[in-house]
Amino acid sequence: MDYPTELGFNQKPSTILHIDLNSCFATIEQQANPHLRGKPIAVAAYTTASGCIIAPSIEAKRYGIKVGMRVRDGKLLYPGLIVLAPDPWKYRNVHLALRRILSDYTDKFVPKSIDEFVLNLEGYPSYRSGMLNVAGEIKKRIKKEIGEWLSVSVGVAPNRFLAKTAACLHKPDGLDEINKDNFKEIYSSLTLTDLCGIKIRNAARLNAMGIFSVSDFYEAPYFRLKAAFESVLGYYWYLRLRGWEIDDVVFGRRSYGNSFALPKPLVSVEELSPILSKLVCKMGSRFRHAGYRVRGVHLGLAYRDGGYWHKGLTTSKVLFDSRDIYKVALRLLTGCPYRKAVRELAVSVFNLTSQDSLQLELFDDLEKKRRVVGAVDKLNQRWGDFVITPARMADTKDVVMDRIAFGGVKELEEFMGVR
Amino acid sequence: MIEKISAPVSVSLAFDHAKRRVSPRWVVWEGKLYPISKVGLHHTYREGRVLYHVFSVASKALFFRLVLNTETLHWRLEEVSDGLPN
Repeated sequence: MDYPTELGFNQKPSTILHIDLNSCFATIEQQANPHLRGKPIAVAAYTTASGCIIAPSIEAKRYGIKVGMRVRDGKLLYPGLIVLAPDPWKYRNVHLALRRILSDYTDKFVPKSIDEFVLNLEGYPSYRSGMLNVAGEIKKRIKKEIGEWLSVSVGVAPNRFLAKTAACLHKPDGLDEINKDNFKEIYSSLTLTDLCGIKIRNAARLNAMGIFSVSDFYEAPYFRLKAAFESVLGYYWYLRLRGWEIDDVVFGRRSYGNSFALPKPLVSVEELSPILSKLVCKMGSRFRHAGYRVRGVHLGLAYRDGGYWHKGLTTSKVLFDSRDIYKVALRLLTGCPYRKAVRELAVSVFNLTSQDSLQLELFDDLEKKRRVVGAVDKLNQRWGDFVITPARMADTKDVVMDRIAFGGVKELEEFMGVR
Repeated sequence: MIEKISAPVSVSLAFDHAKRRVSPRWVVWEGKLYPISKVGLHHTYREGRVLYHVFSVASKALFFRLVLNTETLHWRLEEVSDGLPN
């Protein structure tokens, strides 16, 4: 296929809004607890010294505290740092409240993560009010209807990539537009690594082609970008920087998985199997609730010495019972060649299928098994997760806590019907 | 300092039909009454079939996480904080 390579900047008016809730988890905690407002706080996976900081507040960021730091390092930078454990339901509720507000403006909105939304107002009555006016109104409504401490940065542009770039120009509480009239001026104020998707390695590729700034990146002819990325990615960047849409893609779910970072080093299969069982039970109820069955199991082990081992297995039969998935996962675990301290245990299933009929088996009464599994799932939904569990899960009460995914929001589809 | 607890408490909850807003007015914890000066956030979650309403509220000096079990209509205090580091 021949790609058009003589394109200028897209002349279309801006119709895309990118909304980003600033310092999401930490800001929501400050909204909930007014005594924490204006103070350096951080939400961490664990509040212990080696816990990983997943969201510093705006005030904490001013002291150099960043996502991914250990709690002990954050406290070295600011000894008075207040550290909180995550409260996933608080964040999910705010996300759902944001969805309700945004759905008043367009049906074409996509949550990109727990704290990021993309709206396309093209063809909707709200567009006639003006993109910047709509953005300003959304900002006001969030403060009034969800919480006055919450602030969002909004970017407006002809495509999703530039809308996200615009949202990052002034944080927190920014509102910026990148369009055909001002893009050159804005590009000249950015560095390559300010662009989402360009970090050190991609910047080095571009540098090797004589591209050192965002303006150079924009001016570069297509053949140079193709040489830099050695793939179709070069063309995608060519379009993004010119305001043409290339990122309007929603990827469907292809797997379900659960993982657990072990608070103490465990080595043997006997020690790890109860946790594996709990992970499989949690994952099993999730994919069955969504109407799936599976034909593959994957196990991953991250070790304390920095090593990693993983293996996947495609099964000949369609699986739906957590006990059968556990058997496959345990077989993978016992087949692992290493016996050393495990830091993180992860299990996932793939080859999802939503077919309703089951292949009959000679020795196994699958229909009876399906009814038993369905009854257990109903009991757990009625009385709470893990009311009925395998006996091997004894003593795992406090492990595998509710967590919220960072990247996508596919997990939120599981909670949309609960309110 | 943040303290996770699970204590039964008495709570007064008011519903304003004009604003369609529900807000706790005071909480009695360990025999002491704390007037609520601010409702920070209200959210819900389910455990099994039971729906819980969580009110994150503040008195003049303390923060309270108040949880209403909508099946029993009983309140519990799950967290107290003075907004200072541990």
